Amino acid sequence: MTDAPDLGVSLGPLALEHPLVDASGTFDLLEYARRYDGDYFADFPYAAYVPKTVTADPRIGNPAPRVSETPAGMINAIGLENPGVHAWIGHLGEWAALQQPVIVSVGGNEPEQYAAVLAALEAYLAAAPPGTAPHIEGYELNVSCPNVSSGLQIGADPVATAEVVAACREATGRFLLAKLTPNVRDVTEAGAAALGAGADGLSLVNTFKALVLDRQTLRPFLGNRTGGLCGPAIKPIALRMVAEVAQTFPDTPIVGMGGVMTGQDALEFIACGATAVAVGAANFTAFEAPQRILAELRDALEVHGFSSVAEARGVALRA
Amino acid sequence: MSGADAQTYGDHSQWAETSHCRVSGVRHFGSFAALELIAPRVARRASPGQFVMVTVPGGGFLLRRPISLFAAHGDRISLLIEARGGGSERLTQLDVGDGIDVAGPLGSAFPTESVTNALLIGGGIGCAPLQHLADELTAAGAHVTAAFGFRDFRSARAAGAFSIERLWVATEDGSVGKAGTVLHLLAALDVAPGTTVYACGPNPMVAAVQQWTFAEGLRGYVSLEAHMACGTGSCHGCVVDTARGKLRVCSEGPVFRLDEVTP
Repeated sequence: MTDAPDLGVSLGPLALEHPLVDASGTFDLLEYARRYDGDYFADFPYAAYVPKTVTADPRIGNPAPRVSETPAGMINAIGLENPGVHAWIGHLGEWAALQQPVIVSVGGNEPEQYAAVLAALEAYLAAAPPGTAPHIEGYELNVSCPNVSSGLQIGADPVATAEVVAACREATGRFLLAKLTPNVRDVTEAGAAALGAGADGLSLVNTFKALVLDRQTLRPFLGNRTGGLCGPAIKPIALRMVAEVAQTFPDTPIVGMGGVMTGQDALEFIACGATAVAVGAANFTAFEAPQRILAELRDALEVHGFSSVAEARGVALRA
Repeated sequence: MSGADAQTYGDHSQWAETSHCRVSGVRHFGSFAALELIAPRVARRASPGQFVMVTVPGGGFLLRRPISLFAAHGDRISLLIEARGGGSERLTQLDVGDGIDVAGPLGSAFPTESVTNALLIGGGIGCAPLQHLADELTAAGAHVTAAFGFRDFRSARAAGAFSIERLWVATEDGSVGKAGTVLHLLAALDVAPGTTVYACGPNPMVAAVQQWTFAEGLRGYVSLEAHMACGTGSCHGCVVDTARGKLRVCSEGPVFRLDEVTP
């Protein structure tokens, strides 16, 4: 009988208990806690918490409808609805009991707006009495939302991506991820720009810009007209892009995501070079999805004979 | 986090863990099916107006379906489902003994305290939660009248699933009950002052009912329908415009004050 596989991973300076995190915008910790009998903070299933993207100013988001199911997936156009970083900070104390690290997802239109969010959070963390703030240990720069006017303009432009990362690098010494859009010819170009400007790691992929029509009217169904496609339908493309990025930047921390529904899916992202794996749309399918996927990942590692996640990382990339 | 400060209505609890249930009864009404499920933990917590997220069995559909509670008795809940697409059609084909996963009860509930006269206004499949509400109001001694509108004979088959003593039906094509919309029914009703209105149906009906209640000087509540992804407050996919800003139908709703929503 062999020992259970070692699930721990190092995502840059973050020591994670296991490789699974939530994809930004798909999992609201306080909403889970409200609908759970036990102490959800104690039972939190992910190794780190990535909350919904926060911006400098409040955003009301896009008009309804905002979501629709598609074959093997779904499309959404929420539009980064959030109360703005200052109101958001006012609620951060409610997460203070969370033991896992928090990676804050940050959005904006201009480099200065991203940097303003980081500056506000750094000031909050510096002033917060011990035990009153969550463990914010990193940031994920969302330069890839397809549902706001600026999103793709930044993420699809390596120069604009570098400007956002550089402004944020000046604002924090914490772990800095850039979240890449798949809506580009070569995903490694934006990756190179982000790393060159000081990002510590890359997360990918955000959703694919897509269109769904109303069956009756043959008009765009979503209030925003277009939206972002996610779910199992995008997994093979996401895997290919993670593999390309991992091959190009072999020592870079990578959070891989796109249609992860099972532990086998998570293992495949790790095999393509991901350090950690984010679970997105699967959170919408069942309250217990993260616990199930983690148990399946443990089983899948054993079945494949890996003693650790680290041992499985990148095996698909070998010649 | 917009929900943290928002007021929700009714004395209710929410519970999002998955219950693996069995179908204990099925009644068909044309393209509608009333499913009874053995779901003790859901039934015990359920309040009228709340909903469950139902997994479409057999695979092939990523998202769960939000379905309002049609009834809750003892350890059983009932759901009234209309076959509208591939997923809901599969749910209407379930048989006694089949397994089905549901999560709930979720969302806000209809307030029912100190209500003596209640008028329940429903349109199409939106009538479903009003049975659960009628059961609770009647048990509390309230005088309950219901007015339901359907498009045509086919959709009016759903009325057969209901057990409400004073139930009036209208169809737009005149095939069942009064000819016209539910508004035509309301015009013919003698409504006591102070009656509490409860509405659920498609947005155009809700807007018309709003106008009517303003004109009549009545107050009430509405349960809204929306396209949802998570059903549990995470994705912000199901927002509606309200006097309190954009709110999530799944989390601050589905029950809102009738005068605060812009459906």
